[in-house]
Amino acid sequence: MAYLRRLPKFEYLPAQNIAEVCTLLADHGERAELLAGGTDLLLQMRRREISPAYVIGLKGVVELSGVQASEDGGLTIGAMTTMHALLSSSAIRERYGVLAQATAGIGGPELRNVATIGGNIAGALPCADMPPALITLGAKVKLKSRRGERILPVDELYPEFGRTVAQEDELLTAVLLPSVPAVSGGAYLKFHDRQSMDMTTIGVSAVVTLDADGRAFRDVKIALASSAPVPMRARRAESVLRGLPYTAKALEKAASAVCDEADPRSSWRASRDFRLELLHGLTQRAIRRAWDNAVHTAKDVS
Amino acid sequence: MKKLIQITLRVNGEEHELLVPPWRTLLEVLREHLGLTGAKRSCQEGQCGTCTVLVDGQAINSCLYLAAEAQGKDILTIEGSGADAAIAQIQKSFVQKGGVQCGFCTPGFVLATRALLTNNPDPNEDDIRDAMVGHLCRCTGYVQIVEAIQDASHQTRDEGGR
Repeated sequence: MAYLRRLPKFEYLPAQNIAEVCTLLADHGERAELLAGGTDLLLQMRRREISPAYVIGLKGVVELSGVQASEDGGLTIGAMTTMHALLSSSAIRERYGVLAQATAGIGGPELRNVATIGGNIAGALPCADMPPALITLGAKVKLKSRRGERILPVDELYPEFGRTVAQEDELLTAVLLPSVPAVSGGAYLKFHDRQSMDMTTIGVSAVVTLDADGRAFRDVKIALASSAPVPMRARRAESVLRGLPYTAKALEKAASAVCDEADPRSSWRASRDFRLELLHGLTQRAIRRAWDNAVHTAKDVS
Repeated sequence: MKKLIQITLRVNGEEHELLVPPWRTLLEVLREHLGLTGAKRSCQEGQCGTCTVLVDGQAINSCLYLAAEAQGKDILTIEGSGADAAIAQIQKSFVQKGGVQCGFCTPGFVLATRALLTNNPDPNEDDIRDAMVGHLCRCTGYVQIVEAIQDASHQTRDEGGR
């Protein structure tokens, strides 16, 4: 039985620093996989979905972990920062609540103690919870190789199912969160079968910014998990909502737009129709909660 | 690619020099190389929690962790409970509150409880259920396990206060 299998054979290459990882990737990139937390990679290997000749161990690369304030008022999160470490950061919990909510809903403590933000992003799974939250926050990632370094919005990272635009020799080193406006709030809501322990059936992330009167949407960002072959930004719904006053009708319109542009699949977990039903409900709920959070933070500021 | 690697594992305070294939998980090495069968192999995908051990005090699924990655870290398995007063108390509470039936899941629950009580000595029922979400028990229905963890937290705090 497939799930009783041992891991396929590979050569293990533990790295100590970023430069070493880049060299290993330059030498073996095509035949190597990066081992971060391992909670997805080792499963895929055990199922023989992938059998890399080389596994580059990242757990010893200390310079890849940690949450730091960046010069522009945002945060820089090392790619190997565990979900547990992320939730231990008061800056994340207080200013980037949508990311904290998405993270807290992933697995149990045993998984969050090893699973990393970089792994959740680079794994490129449509059901990953962190990419939608990061997209709605306007987050970017830093990709590094021996050829140089580039910075890309998370939004532009996923060209197709299961893949990122990162080249074989590139390492995702950090996630860059921009500073957040004081009059904004976010929420991440998901539906899944077993509390915290199942893959996300549908996830909706929303970040809203209030206008000057606090009555209408100045800006809205919406992104979805398990709603398309890739983590997906719901641009049409965003533009529907931008400028509208906060009413039940506006939320309904946005939810319909989300369902129009989303393309969920049917699987044993849920049918396409059921997922669309979920999207319709969760979108409105996520926007409502994001709005409430924005009103709450705006009050704290004034 | 067949080459074995040399690793040093510190398990329950004892150092072991081992020659293992790099694709061996920590769980496989604990069970098959060191004969420590307290951590169980079950789902092999991080769903059931029966393979839980503590690495540097943090609960992890040892089926999703390479033995090579545990090099230089402090590993605590249920077999190390003799030297750990907190674990001894947790075990007592599990027995007294009926949190043990067939026993297969118990080492995982006990070690996860140890990690929980270290971070949060006074968890409420929600905290406990959140902390145990990665552990399955097919016998108890969880009620007695929650009671056992509550009891362990009370007993441990009483001890500390004395």
